[in-house]
Amino acid sequence: MKQEYDAIVIGAGAIGTSVAYHLARAGYQTAVLDRGDIASGSSSHCDAVALICDKLPGIDTKMGQASIDYFGELARTFDYDFEYCPKGCLYICETQPEFDAAENYCRKQQADGYAMRMIGHDELCAMEPHIAKDLTGALFTPESGSVAVSPYKLCFAFVEEGKKYGLESYTYCTIQKINLDPDTNAVRSLETNYGTFHTKRIINCAGAWASFVGRMTGLDIPIEPRKGTNLVSEQTGRLCNHKILEYGYMLSKFDSIHFKRNVSRLVEEQNIAFNLEYTNACNLLVGGNRLFRGYDTRTEIETMRAICERAVRFYPELADIKCIRAYSGVRPFVRDHLPIVSDVDSIPGYYIAAGHEGDGICFSPITGKFMEQIISGKPTDFDISRLDFARFSSGAAAKGA
Amino acid sequence: MLYRDVCIVGAGPAGLAAAIEAGKAGASVLLVDLNMRPGGQLFKQIHKFFGSSAHHSGTRGCTIGRQLLKEALDSGVEIWLQSTVIGFFPGNKIGIERGADHTEKQIVTVTAKKVIIATGATENAIRFEGWTAPGVMGAGAAQTMINVNHVRPGNKVVMLGSGNVGLIVSYQLMQAGCEVAALVEAAPKIGGYAVHAAKIRRAGVPILLRHTIVAAVKDPDGCVCGCNIAAVDDHFRPVPGTEETIDCDTITIAAGLKPTMDLVKLAGCALTFNPAFGGYVPLHSRRMETSRAGFFVAGDTTGVEEANTALEEGRIAGISAAEDLGLLSSREAGLMRGEIWTRLDSLRFGPFGLRRKTEKERILQAFESEIGTPQALS
Repeated sequence: MKQEYDAIVIGAGAIGTSVAYHLARAGYQTAVLDRGDIASGSSSHCDAVALICDKLPGIDTKMGQASIDYFGELARTFDYDFEYCPKGCLYICETQPEFDAAENYCRKQQADGYAMRMIGHDELCAMEPHIAKDLTGALFTPESGSVAVSPYKLCFAFVEEGKKYGLESYTYCTIQKINLDPDTNAVRSLETNYGTFHTKRIINCAGAWASFVGRMTGLDIPIEPRKGTNLVSEQTGRLCNHKILEYGYMLSKFDSIHFKRNVSRLVEEQNIAFNLEYTNACNLLVGGNRLFRGYDTRTEIETMRAICERAVRFYPELADIKCIRAYSGVRPFVRDHLPIVSDVDSIPGYYIAAGHEGDGICFSPITGKFMEQIISGKPTDFDISRLDFARFSSGAAAKGA
Repeated sequence: MLYRDVCIVGAGPAGLAAAIEAGKAGASVLLVDLNMRPGGQLFKQIHKFFGSSAHHSGTRGCTIGRQLLKEALDSGVEIWLQSTVIGFFPGNKIGIERGADHTEKQIVTVTAKKVIIATGATENAIRFEGWTAPGVMGAGAAQTMINVNHVRPGNKVVMLGSGNVGLIVSYQLMQAGCEVAALVEAAPKIGGYAVHAAKIRRAGVPILLRHTIVAAVKDPDGCVCGCNIAAVDDHFRPVPGTEETIDCDTITIAAGLKPTMDLVKLAGCALTFNPAFGGYVPLHSRRMETSRAGFFVAGDTTGVEEANTALEEGRIAGISAAEDLGLLSSREAGLMRGEIWTRLDSLRFGPFGLRRKTEKERILQAFESEIGTPQALS
């Protein structure tokens, strides 16, 4: 065990392990700490796809596409297999108004040069033989903008590949205190149950728990936990050929858009947005919802019921397939739906990479790359000033900008 | 949504006894069991019980089962059969899958103030080549087939394990018309009571000590048609050159039981590992309450023993649940529990029983030192 590191990453989820890998690769003596195990938080309680078609046009999509492209490069160069699998995605539209909204979105993304297109009822039924027959159509995103990975294997891949560059990891590590320089307020050391680590740089990658780490040095990081639930089916035949989501997912994700679906009160209350994917092990993952329940990650039976109700509406055969398990996790929610990838003006050597609600897996490669560029004082691949932590002190996010 | 004071999972001796006590005290009780009939293992125990007259000696298990069932129904207990508890959820909610396999199943949510988990035990498996072939099964499964369903598992059986289950089931298989070709035991001496062993010896069953099964022999359809056994050395390793084949169509494994912990784990109760009781068991108090307030345990779930201890523990759990519901005063409940603990001590006696008494004390003490007061979750 070393006493001194160039950089210490707090949090060993998809974001933290990626940041740690990129720093180690760039030559920094790096350690990644977690109060649990690697991938024991949100990164093992989520689904497994990286998409561009669930991002808002603009920087959101730009980061998504850059990250998806980068996933391919990592899959080719990593020895550790994280089950990278390009897999097209269908955003299904239940009604004509949904289809119109999706088409409008699609046109904007096409104008920005992204590969996606609208498909009608017949083509949808041909692509997805088991889907309900009364749907209007779908937004189709090909494999260039939609890939699947194993989220927990991804975290382990970053750690194992990082070890080749000297990365060290400390699991079940609790931070007791973060010490700052009394004169400059710069990062000095961390006191943990493993002892004191001296370092000039810490990167807060604690996701939904980033605000707790922030408070240790008096920082107010406006990230809240937002709960989600997935059901796991028994092993079964190939029910779907793509990652499937309902267009209403967008509506629940970006709650600034108001759109009334024709759904039951239970589905509405539980804020359900159907999504479905098949896994390598031939189970189906069926989701999902977004609810504010603090840090309580117990699965709720009403949520399970509501997910089932909505899932059977789109794939009637799911009614005959058994659910074997359900799990819930928390996503790091930020009011303006953009992550924080930034340094912190008030504390030299303090960095934040957190708040990737629902996009942590997707954005992890590019976030790690950006964070290394920020720390090294290099220009980032493209302008990410909107992800700056300073946006909260200016009150911009509060105004909903 | 259905509301009940107490929901009890498992309608074996522990669950039935708990239901009777809680029901008699005035609680509304829902008893849930995944089997087609209540009674747990009692209805397959066609033999007479040993022990003191206070504990049903000379009475057959199935008779005790019928008495308990009647008493439970008389106490107003509601019983859902072919129903499976699928989870415990926030707000004291319990998800129950209700309905027979051949009918439309339904998920019902029940809100219960107290939960008693009495899910019993699960048979241990022994792995050897071919152990998953049709014809290889647990001794308890074979016993259910003959005594409950009246179906013979096969004609010629090799039994592995000479504990009481292996001995008794061997005898019952013979009563059902099976031939028991051999009883194989890796240890140098018989595990169960001499009286049971003598019975099957008299009937001419060879008991092969210091032997084990190395493989199931399969016919062209993949079903069991024989059993390869071998002598074992002092480290239970097969001795080369001692293999022989016994003709049989059924291999039954009586390798002990482990507590069925799925629901205890789902409820988040603190556990401890106890080899004498068969593996992981929930820490619990003398009131049979776990580390999670309002969640009680009883019977083999708390450590593998036998029907009488399960019954007594079930009574304690039912009394404690009723006490926490305000249906019994602390004094009344305390007195009742005191009497039952005295009876439990008399059951945990003799060479096997004393060890269980010591281990039970260890678990109770660990609860006091590590948990103290059970914690509530909303």
